[in-house]
Amino acid sequence: MSDGLVQILEGNTFVVSDERGDIEASPTDSTGLFSFDTRFLSRWVLTVNGQRLNALSTDDLQYFQARFFLVPGTGTVYVDAKLSVIRLREVADGFHEEIRVLNHENAPVDLKIRIDAASDFADLFEVKDALAKKGQYQARAEGGSLVLAYRRETFGRQTWISSSEPATIDEKGLSFGITVPAHGEWMTELNVVAAGEAPADSTAGLAGPAGHGHRHRVRRDMARGLAKWIGRAPELRCDWEPLERIYRRCLTDLAALRFSTLTMPDRALPAAGLPWFMTIFGRDSIFTSLQTLPFCSELASTTLRALAERQGTRIDDFRDEDPGRIMHEVRYGELTAFEERPHSPYYGSADATPLFVVLLDEYELWTGDTRLVRDLEQAARAALNWIDEYADLQGNGYVAYQRRNATTGLENQCWKDSWESISYRNGDLPGFPRATCELQGYAYDAKVRAARLARVVWKDPVFAARLEEEAADLKRRFNRDFWVADGGYFAVALDADGRQVDSLASNVGHLLWSGIADKSKARSIAAHLLGPRLFSGWGVRTLAEGEARYNPIGYHVGAVWPFDNSFIAWGLRRYGFREEAACIADGILGAAEVFDGRLPEAFGGYARSVTRYPVRYPTACSPQAWSTGAPLLLLRVALGLEPSGDNLMVDPALPERFGRLELLDVPGRWKRVDALGRGRVDTSRLLRR
Amino acid sequence: MPVVHAAGSRPGRPDAADPVGEFFTALGRQRHIATFERESATLRFDIADGERVRRWLVIVDNGTVAVSHRNGRADAVVRMRRADAEAIVTGRINAQAAMLRGLIACQGSVGALTMFQRCLPGPPDSTGRVAPITSEQVMAERRPR
Repeated sequence: MSDGLVQILEGNTFVVSDERGDIEASPTDSTGLFSFDTRFLSRWVLTVNGQRLNALSTDDLQYFQARFFLVPGTGTVYVDAKLSVIRLREVADGFHEEIRVLNHENAPVDLKIRIDAASDFADLFEVKDALAKKGQYQARAEGGSLVLAYRRETFGRQTWISSSEPATIDEKGLSFGITVPAHGEWMTELNVVAAGEAPADSTAGLAGPAGHGHRHRVRRDMARGLAKWIGRAPELRCDWEPLERIYRRCLTDLAALRFSTLTMPDRALPAAGLPWFMTIFGRDSIFTSLQTLPFCSELASTTLRALAERQGTRIDDFRDEDPGRIMHEVRYGELTAFEERPHSPYYGSADATPLFVVLLDEYELWTGDTRLVRDLEQAARAALNWIDEYADLQGNGYVAYQRRNATTGLENQCWKDSWESISYRNGDLPGFPRATCELQGYAYDAKVRAARLARVVWKDPVFAARLEEEAADLKRRFNRDFWVADGGYFAVALDADGRQVDSLASNVGHLLWSGIADKSKARSIAAHLLGPRLFSGWGVRTLAEGEARYNPIGYHVGAVWPFDNSFIAWGLRRYGFREEAACIADGILGAAEVFDGRLPEAFGGYARSVTRYPVRYPTACSPQAWSTGAPLLLLRVALGLEPSGDNLMVDPALPERFGRLELLDVPGRWKRVDALGRGRVDTSRLLRR
Repeated sequence: MPVVHAAGSRPGRPDAADPVGEFFTALGRQRHIATFERESATLRFDIADGERVRRWLVIVDNGTVAVSHRNGRADAVVRMRRADAEAIVTGRINAQAAMLRGLIACQGSVGALTMFQRCLPGPPDSTGRVAPITSEQVMAERRPR
């Protein structure tokens, strides 16, 4: 719950209402019932005898379920209510709502219960950008249901509303004339189904995207009890009690973030964020899969398969698609359907493609699932080919990006995707194409890891040798061309002229993670990451203090991103900086404690000594997948978990305050292994900042 | 893996104004498609042309592709009108968008249709090229803010 709004969801179907359970959306307001990126209800208001109700209390029982305790009247003076109403709502291809009316009087009472219902069938993008609709609306009573319908040419979407108790149905809602006995109760169930519609000249009977969800819904529920999900994950015990709560929160939020595609209804991948980003994002799903591999590898395997299914195969300028490119974002709403938005899917991301290969290798290292690696051999080869053939936009052998869709495509196709995220020291913005440094790291890592897969699984040593040669060459060139000698760090990017974009940013941490940085340069990078310009005391800032565009509450120009930090910590560990990695784990997990276990997407880059508490950066999405995954990756890093053949290596470097930490039953190719450690790293000096 | 065509049902020469026929015939001629390796699925396309329905059966078997007019069990039965099919096989309409729009109806495996989309062409006017933008242009665009 936030801003007095209650949101519950399952997959990409979600309901956002006020605390009474009512929905009164305006064209730009974001309440409603949404499914497959379309709003299916924009009005849903309950009245008793024409009166609105007041909320006594509201519980989000589970992420898919909420309960509202209500009494009639809207006055501010409290009067003992003679009546109470309980709404229990659960999301399911739309939602299911139980309305219970309790009469507290010693005599029967006659009541008129009314539900007003309407839908504007807005596309999510229309809600964001306040665009006008182009189709026609209709409302009708049909076979005991109120049907709200929208049609634009062959595109049809419908909302079906029915009740278990007999109702009088009109075009604007359902009415119940009832008598509730003395101290008795009355109950009806309301069922709201979000449905597509078959094209008029087709006999296929396809119910559209929403219809598919319906069929698989029951099975999914059975397979995915929350308790079962948590029970399958390793068990965590820690002397520092907040860590146990953070861990549990992460697992619960990950459960809510699970998303099933139409092509794999029985498997789950991590969607990017709740509720507005409950869809496949190449980058977010991959990063979250990497973070969560030691805890639930299913998310990674589904992500890999889903992204391979949708891998680019052609040149499409509108979608920024190339052969071999891994998609960025997929959407199902009206604007996508009419090609007014490119999300069918949209491919404008330069990191998802190399990261796809990185994830495939990391997944195999943990699970030993060589079958998936064989199944995806062509996809991985196509991805590697994209790096060389399609991503070298500057003609210098580096991965770069520039959108071809100049109206609705993404300008910055790296994870820092806001307009000012990549700048020179003086604040000027580089032109396009841009080759940001972390992309080179990912490309290097993709080649190194693919070489291993080629040798071990694909049995193609010639390909492996070629990849290793290319990786070594890339590393050599990169350490020469990106190194800012007077700063002792790597430039954030090369611009279109091959000139260094010379600001210091957190991107350098990803270079440690990918292994592209020369060992001799790593100490200087580590010193910057934990130094006063980048490290706030809670975590590494996205942009260093002292850069012209630095702003502690700037989205990608000073704020601290937990996800970013988790990969930076992994990188530090990779180069042997155990204490530095422990400091980041301590800082970010300390922030997680303040945020009640749920890390926001980003928080302010103010020095810890100034604000005492981390300051949340306001965003619409919470929980967000890769913030949810950050504590999990930090646990892995702090415990020093590394797969080594059929064994799991454990080499803890834990902050002192953790005391004893046990992660029991870590799953992998070794079946299950316990990882234990004791906090011995004194992080106080750096965290005092 | 040999390419299997049903006897007597091999697609004949398409006439010039039949992009759908040309597409499927060319697809069958390719026989092996890398992106379909380790994929197996049968799709039947029913293309409505007025009262007439033209049928194409596409069998993908670990990267080999066989195309015929045969009838047979399919993992996915895909129905669309001829005009829409022509737009899709020439890249003028995106198949995924067409499905969301209700121009394509798919019975059975959506996964099979998603896989199949990987062999469709891109828009005819897409070049894959874009002119570089200078730092000065980027800054000029941002300055009036």
